[in-house]
Amino acid sequence: MKPLLSNDYLVLLTRTFLGLLFVVVSLEKIVEPAAFAQSIANYKIVGPPLTVVLATVLPWLELLCGFALLFGIFLRGSSLLLSGMLVVFTAGVISALLRGLDIACGCFTQDPSVGKIGWMKVLQNGTLLALSVFLYFSSSVRFSISQYLRTRPLG
Amino acid sequence: MALREAGMLLIAAAALGFIYTAAMEKGLFGTQRAGFSSSFPTSVNAPVTISPDSAKMFFDSGNALFVDSRHAYDYSLGHIKGSINLPLAEYAAKKDTLARVPKDKLIIIYCDGADCNSSIELAARLFMDGFVNVKIFFGGWGEWKAKSLPIEKSAK
Repeated sequence: MKPLLSNDYLVLLTRTFLGLLFVVVSLEKIVEPAAFAQSIANYKIVGPPLTVVLATVLPWLELLCGFALLFGIFLRGSSLLLSGMLVVFTAGVISALLRGLDIACGCFTQDPSVGKIGWMKVLQNGTLLALSVFLYFSSSVRFSISQYLRTRPLG
Repeated sequence: MALREAGMLLIAAAALGFIYTAAMEKGLFGTQRAGFSSSFPTSVNAPVTISPDSAKMFFDSGNALFVDSRHAYDYSLGHIKGSINLPLAEYAAKKDTLARVPKDKLIIIYCDGADCNSSIELAARLFMDGFVNVKIFFGGWGEWKAKSLPIEKSAK
């Protein structure tokens, strides 16, 4: 496992994939916070005030974490946050499935007619979670702004 | 280290989120929250949920168009008398059904209560497509039938 965790190219590929994904999916949620709030409300887990706060903050958190992964800043912090978000999202989907709710996921698009929740969605989120946990434990910082700042010649 | 980074990202995201929504008058600071239930503060025209008694009152008035958002099979087994079937999943393909319906027509959407959210989602879609008088009868088919209100079945 250790060679994988320190493989510069594998880490870069994972960072790029997850970073791009979260940047792209956050944009629609940022532009349409009301639609995203409705997606959250459909899960019937949190009340209206918290739903609105989540719909306001989560898309920006996804965007910032995505950019952080892409540029290699705050790598451990952003992968920790993404892992936490994915655990919560997946728990929400499982909870909704167990309660028999017939709702759209609201994960990648806010179009209610596509992306219904299902066990495939759980598998999909689980895969993304595995990738973000991998990044959290990875030791490679090559191709990152953090590394550049640390190693650039002074003066 | 990781926690400190995560905290900084979280604070930055919260600040950006609230500043953006306030500047753009969206979400928390907006006037349109399409599809929210009546417990949400809503714009004047955004869909709200109504009780079975209100649904019955609108039904009796004869001025409301009832739209059943359940699957066609469920609709065929029984539906509110006079309602039309527009399953959420087929909205894009079948929305022409409403082409002749005036945008200010009172439309009441229902499915089947807590196990089904398609009425809320369909209401949001209609609202976004310009229908300004959309209401959600969330109790839907189950509550209507339980009260022995007028129903009908599709012809075989």
